[in-house]
Amino acid sequence: MTSLQLEQSPQQISQQKPSFLKRIWRFIKKNPAGVAGMILVLLSISAALFSQWIAPFDPSKASLTSRLAPPSWADETGESVFFLGADQVGRDLFSRIIYGAKISLMVGFFGVLISLVIGTVLGLVAGYFGKWLDDFIMRVADIQLAFPFILFAIVIMSVLGTGIWKIIIILGLTYWVGFARLIRGEVISLKEQEYIHAAKAIGGTTFTIIRKHILPNVMSSILVLGTMYIAEFILLEASLTFLGLGVDPTIPSWGGMLADSRNYVTTAWWTATFPGIAIMLTVLGFNLLGDWLRDKFDPNMKL
Amino acid sequence: MKKKLSSLLALLVIFTLILSACSGGGKEKASTESGKGSEENPVKDRGNEIVIGVSGDPQNWDPIDTFLLDWSTVATSVFEGLVDRTIDLELQPGLAESWEYLDDKTLQFKLRQGVTFHNGEPFNAEAVKFTFDRLLGAEGQKGPQYSNYTSIESVEVVDEFTINMKLNTPDPVLLTKLAGYGAVIVPPKYVAEKGDEHFNNNPVGTGPFKMTGYKRDQEIVLEKNPEYWKEGLPKLDKVVYKVIPEASTRLAELQTGKIDIMKRVEVSQAETVKESGFLELQEVGTPTAFSLRFDVAKKPFDSKEVRQAINYAVDKEAIINEILGGYGKPISTFQSELSFGNNPDLEPYPYDPEKAKELLKKAGVKEGTAVDLFIPGNDGNFKEIAQAVSFYLEEVGIKVNINTADSTTLTSDLIPNAKAGHMYRQGWGGWTLDFDNTAYLMYYEGEQWNPSFKNEKVEELLNKQRASVDPEERKAIFKELTELLYDLAPELNLYSAVDLYAVNKRVQNFQPPHEDRMRLEEVMVK
Amino acid sequence: MIAYIIRRLLHTILVVFAISLIIFFSVRLTGDPVSVMFQAGEPTKEAIAEVRKNLGLDEPLYVQYGIFLKGLITFDFGESFRSGMPVMDLIKEKLGATLALAFGGMAVAIMIAFPVGIVSAVKRGTGVDFFGRIFSLIGISFPNFWLGIMLILIFAVNLKWLPSSGFESFKHLILPSITLGMILSGILARLVRSSMLEVMNQQYISTAKSKGISDFAVIIKHAFRNALLPTVTFLGLQFGALLGGTVIVEQIFSWPGIGRLIIDAINQRDYPVIQGGVIFLAVIMVAVNLVIDLSYTLIDPRIKIGGSRS
Repeated sequence: MTSLQLEQSPQQISQQKPSFLKRIWRFIKKNPAGVAGMILVLLSISAALFSQWIAPFDPSKASLTSRLAPPSWADETGESVFFLGADQVGRDLFSRIIYGAKISLMVGFFGVLISLVIGTVLGLVAGYFGKWLDDFIMRVADIQLAFPFILFAIVIMSVLGTGIWKIIIILGLTYWVGFARLIRGEVISLKEQEYIHAAKAIGGTTFTIIRKHILPNVMSSILVLGTMYIAEFILLEASLTFLGLGVDPTIPSWGGMLADSRNYVTTAWWTATFPGIAIMLTVLGFNLLGDWLRDKFDPNMKL
Repeated sequence: MKKKLSSLLALLVIFTLILSACSGGGKEKASTESGKGSEENPVKDRGNEIVIGVSGDPQNWDPIDTFLLDWSTVATSVFEGLVDRTIDLELQPGLAESWEYLDDKTLQFKLRQGVTFHNGEPFNAEAVKFTFDRLLGAEGQKGPQYSNYTSIESVEVVDEFTINMKLNTPDPVLLTKLAGYGAVIVPPKYVAEKGDEHFNNNPVGTGPFKMTGYKRDQEIVLEKNPEYWKEGLPKLDKVVYKVIPEASTRLAELQTGKIDIMKRVEVSQAETVKESGFLELQEVGTPTAFSLRFDVAKKPFDSKEVRQAINYAVDKEAIINEILGGYGKPISTFQSELSFGNNPDLEPYPYDPEKAKELLKKAGVKEGTAVDLFIPGNDGNFKEIAQAVSFYLEEVGIKVNINTADSTTLTSDLIPNAKAGHMYRQGWGGWTLDFDNTAYLMYYEGEQWNPSFKNEKVEELLNKQRASVDPEERKAIFKELTELLYDLAPELNLYSAVDLYAVNKRVQNFQPPHEDRMRLEEVMVK
Repeated sequence: MIAYIIRRLLHTILVVFAISLIIFFSVRLTGDPVSVMFQAGEPTKEAIAEVRKNLGLDEPLYVQYGIFLKGLITFDFGESFRSGMPVMDLIKEKLGATLALAFGGMAVAIMIAFPVGIVSAVKRGTGVDFFGRIFSLIGISFPNFWLGIMLILIFAVNLKWLPSSGFESFKHLILPSITLGMILSGILARLVRSSMLEVMNQQYISTAKSKGISDFAVIIKHAFRNALLPTVTFLGLQFGALLGGTVIVEQIFSWPGIGRLIIDAINQRDYPVIQGGVIFLAVIMVAVNLVIDLSYTLIDPRIKIGGSRS
């Protein structure tokens, strides 16, 4: 045994202090799904951040002469200059997809932010104070759930008008219920823990108890649900366009591109296929990431 | 663990391939153009029967309760009026053999003898009287049809097969109105005995087909009326309408032979139909005109010159040819060439961006002026058109912000209340195919869809043509009216719609209808 | 317990009342049903006013609401503006198709989620786990309309295996159920997996294992049974949403369900149908919630009444 140990000692040293790259490699090997998710999410974030440098064309420059030009590599006439083809009004699809990342992520992030803030506050209040406040908030949640999403969208739009921010508001106002229910449940079980009682006993104010002891403990759940909701919101934006409630067609939203070109699927397949792939990869990325985060924080989380 | 990553990659590649494989179907067909026609017709043994895929269910078959195009698509085969409008839009005798004006306000009809309703009830003067009493009475007033027929004072029975129709005011389009919708003849005994609700779901008329099955939002079954008064017609034994709201699904049903005729083929689907060996694409002009209407109360469109400039700035022909694939017709005023009152001497505003810039400059419109355009969010094709318009207007220095709204909110709230920006989509085609209908609704002060336009001369001409039943005189008035409207340019006229139908080649003699009212009595199958 | 049930029932009534109030006034903010009734014809100002009057829409709002509320007590939602049919009859007409699709979707979700969830829990951290989870996530990575259109193109148009639309036979149920089930299965598989993991980490499974019972028997006997409860809860909570929230799937596959009934009514501003449909779904949803809460307390008395459920 001793000799063997001696022989392997150099390797052992490297195991104790692995190089940075090795550590990354090991991390990847351990968490392939999480890493895949991270890569996909990072890809779409960088597309959103650097769109003006990546996109070869102006995403809003229409020209009927290049209408439905096929991808340059699939074009038999060799005239098309567009890597992923052109859309129904002759805009470069690749540029639109790159810029579309901005729109989709905006809908996802800000929509989730709104619902997260509302949901967390209401969930904390309901869970911590209980009694009639809890009943009231949970019944409001029931009402929200019973109200058809599409009708809610139409009502909000006819009051506030249309546009990408209205869609973000609609999503945010609809999906707070998920956060509220989750947080409420966790708060109720946390409330009975020893250290909360202790904090109360030494005269901690409600606000400090929530801020210092409860909020940090529900953070992981918020993060996980938030990540998953980003994915869902990106899809919902597409569904809204399908139902005729989407954003203005000059805005390069993936959902809009996909929904509006669904009838071109057999004649100009690229118009729908590439936005579809963009959505799929990004949504898959967020879902994988959320899944991995959940596993990491608490594999028993009921999400 | 490398395997995991590569399996992820493989999975993505596979999915991408599936996506492109199924969507590339059309492309493959295109490249094997020589093999066109060799595809096997998937419809094998349907017998003397056809299936039609329609986009909507009117929900309601009582002719006095509905004014939907989806109703007329089916009901034209079930019900008939005193007057018949052929598929080529000619008026001819229907259930009445002849008619004449006894005086200005009395119209006498001689009825066809030996006609029976699908339930065996005889068609006679009583049935006609019942129909109009019902339409103009309490039951009819609940529905949208009533207002269409208020020029009729009463119907009097002269003898079993003669009636007199008393009018309270001359109505130049009355005969057309009698050819459809609320004025189709219904069976008195059946309605009285079974009640309105039963009739609503189980309609009975005198038409070539009788309705034998109706599953709401699913299908409507019509069977041959063996007692039909036209000798040897109809030729089909059975017609089934399937309600399929989504266009891509409708096309799938057609490609797999589940339906024989597809209503409402999208322009984007036209190529796919044309490339198929067993399908035929049929096009037909409709009375529906599409424009971008200006809100003339809002700057800068309160100026006639600016409105004209917009008309010069947009290349309508390019829009029709490129975006609509040629399936649209240029218009000079807000009506199609089918409309009585259309002025063929007027040419649509030519595409002349220089002239547009000049006019805009003269009117003092600054470069970069922004305007709001409202369009319905559920019309993919029109979104493309709106973007093309925005592109053309940008060229002359006007920035267009496109707003998509829920289509019902747009028509029933935003437009009537002048909340639809500077310009909005307006589509209309009155079924009477007479400019009276359109012009009155669009340009008369205070009408639902006219939030801001007002012109005394226009209203004077509209009143004048309404008071006349002489076609020549009315034509002259419309000539003046259209010239005036052309100059006033209350809208940017884009095109009149062309409807596309896709038909399986086993179906013969099908002629696409101009205004959704399918005529099927001559249709046969191979 | 009885007091709790009574309190919850009172709440339910309050919720339904609140929904009726909100729905009644909010649909009236979005435009009016009359002008969309005229697709052809002549919607002059007078004609529109006339129809409004005959539909009772010219009454003051509080009177209209009173009439609606009075009907609500007897479950009479009035008559549809479009079809003239009693709203309750319309809902009954659609109930069969709606339930078929809801159960079809759930069945597919279970068929995908249980094998995937169980296997990936048992083989946690292996390639099988990874693969299974990706598979269950693919379904929720597409907008559902796109998934539906793709399934039609692949299985109906290209392969010609299945019909693409309609509510006619069992075969017609397959594609819509898969579309719906794929969406559910992503979440459900995750749930099954974590429930399984939770149980498998517990002492008695290890004890069972050490006793030498075969792995599979252990899993079936203990873990599976314990994973069932959260699954039933999840599906129960989804049930209400499934009845009304499948609009897009219904639209793509021409499925005559309640979702489409309501969306068509929304598009036509058919107020009675919107109101009736939404209230009907709300009642079912609240009732299902109540039943789940109660059954929780019955199954596991340790759960405090009205306590946590996340």
